Amino acid sequence: MVLKSLADLKNIVSGKPIKKLVLAAAQDQHSLGAVLRAWNDRIIDPILVGDKESIQNICYEQGYNVGGLRIIHEPETDMAVELSIKMLSSKQADILMKGKVGTSALLRSALNKEWGLRTGNLLSHIALFEVETYHKLIAVTDVAMNIAPNLKDKIAIVNNSVSFLNRLGYVMPKVAVLGAVEMVNENMEATLDAALLSKMNQRDQIRNCIIDGPLAFDNAVSIESAQHKGIKSEVAGDTDLLLMPDIEVGNVLYKSLVFFAKAKVASIILGAQVPIVLTSRSDSEQAKYDSILLAAAASK
Amino acid sequence: MIRTLDQMVEKVQSLNRKHRIAVAWALDANTVIAVHEAVIRGFAQGILIGDAEGIKSICRKAGIDHRLFILTDAGNEAAAAIEAVRMTRSGEADIVMKGLVGTDIFLREVMDKNRGLMLPGSLMSYVCALQLPSYHKLLFITDPAVIPEPSLEQKISMTEYAVGMAMRFGIKKPKIALISASEKPSRHFRSSPDYEEMCRLARSGAFADCIMDGPLDIFLACDRKSVEIKGVETPVNGDADILLFPSLESSNPFYKGLMLFAGAELAGIIRGTTKPVIVMSRSESEKSKFYCIALACLMA
Repeated sequence: MVLKSLADLKNIVSGKPIKKLVLAAAQDQHSLGAVLRAWNDRIIDPILVGDKESIQNICYEQGYNVGGLRIIHEPETDMAVELSIKMLSSKQADILMKGKVGTSALLRSALNKEWGLRTGNLLSHIALFEVETYHKLIAVTDVAMNIAPNLKDKIAIVNNSVSFLNRLGYVMPKVAVLGAVEMVNENMEATLDAALLSKMNQRDQIRNCIIDGPLAFDNAVSIESAQHKGIKSEVAGDTDLLLMPDIEVGNVLYKSLVFFAKAKVASIILGAQVPIVLTSRSDSEQAKYDSILLAAAASK
Repeated sequence: MIRTLDQMVEKVQSLNRKHRIAVAWALDANTVIAVHEAVIRGFAQGILIGDAEGIKSICRKAGIDHRLFILTDAGNEAAAAIEAVRMTRSGEADIVMKGLVGTDIFLREVMDKNRGLMLPGSLMSYVCALQLPSYHKLLFITDPAVIPEPSLEQKISMTEYAVGMAMRFGIKKPKIALISASEKPSRHFRSSPDYEEMCRLARSGAFADCIMDGPLDIFLACDRKSVEIKGVETPVNGDADILLFPSLESSNPFYKGLMLFAGAELAGIIRGTTKPVIVMSRSESEKSKFYCIALACLMA
């Protein structure tokens, strides 16, 4: 199965029991609004951990009745984060979301050796884009977590992403490893890594997907461009997942698709015991909502 | 101030000058049609170099009268490249353009110390003007084609080329955003120290009249709303004219992504040469090629 739009995620979610989402330091206007909307649409069951009075005030302001809401009062941010994560590691909930707390503080706690959410895997970020001019959703990794991944990291990022896509119903997702050019160039490390990842895939060292690379962006997403260059590839023009060489490349592409191509986007962190939703203030309300939807769809 | 590529064409038409364009191995229809358009619009004279019978046959198929051009016979690709560059160097032509000859053969000729077109001691780089429906003016980007990992010195040259081009478009004080994944300098990014030094140089007046800031992400460079939401103080203020990218890997998917997904059009030329040099990939449309010719005429 292949997803054509972010709204298709609703079909996946509606076939499963409603997942519990913990919003850590929930007294946060930016994330709480999206959480309440997702709650209202029966996508998740929220557990709001943080300063009760502030949380209630935000709920009232947004026009929600707090009657059916589970709020756990913990005014200290550090404690609220710890409590939230412990609820997840003890399997009382399914999804972690960042509220009014810094990203690095939240992730540090999530990786706590005693009570955190470690699996032994690398954490990586994945974003799903809905672009009008592409025939299906396209996933992009890693545009936010891993700064300059080496080959070993890239293998981990691909594995995280592929098992996530498999869970969403993609049987053999097509993975394009991005380079500035489609030829292997000994001076461009990204193209060497790309070639190795492709070969490892052929040899079944990386499974459940079809990897090809290096591919330049146009070859990865446009069959005409690929044919023009005479590239023979199962992936070219039909990519499900684009692997970025580094965060500068990924971040530039991510933001230009959102800003210039008016793409819709949903994103989560993979590699922990549960999906983690980390949205930033500059994300739109819809992007936050869609990220929650994505986490619910990806949740085991 | 020129805000669209069509305004750029009008400007070139208003100069009342016919620029002589030597096309090396003019044996692809796209190129011949684009040169023809420039001839018809009255700002160019086409000198088509290559197998004359082949060129005539392309003209016939495209419904173009070959007598509108000067045809110069050449036996093969390399001979055509040598002749095109020779004519341009000697002043028989004002602009040189790559036809169906391989990019490496063509550029080797342009870069040849004795026969070529390089300004002594200068860097060869590429600047292009990108027209985006979702942006309020043209965006000049550098370098999406030539330099894989620019050094500080190379970044400075790239900036000077882009500023020079922006000024030809009537932009009095161009705003330059030095692009990275975040506005926070970080030791993890190789670009950060270079950007810091460039901003220092800009403050000391080392560049022509311009406003420079970096690192900035795409949002802070191009979206005033993001600047407000994030509360970041930056003189570029979401109104960038020029984006300088840290690597070819980041600039290449940026422009390709916008061409494919955001309806972008571009015009670009090689800089660092004594005369404008047009190099485009085979897969570029006639329209893009026409805009490149007009840009070369504006810069000639």
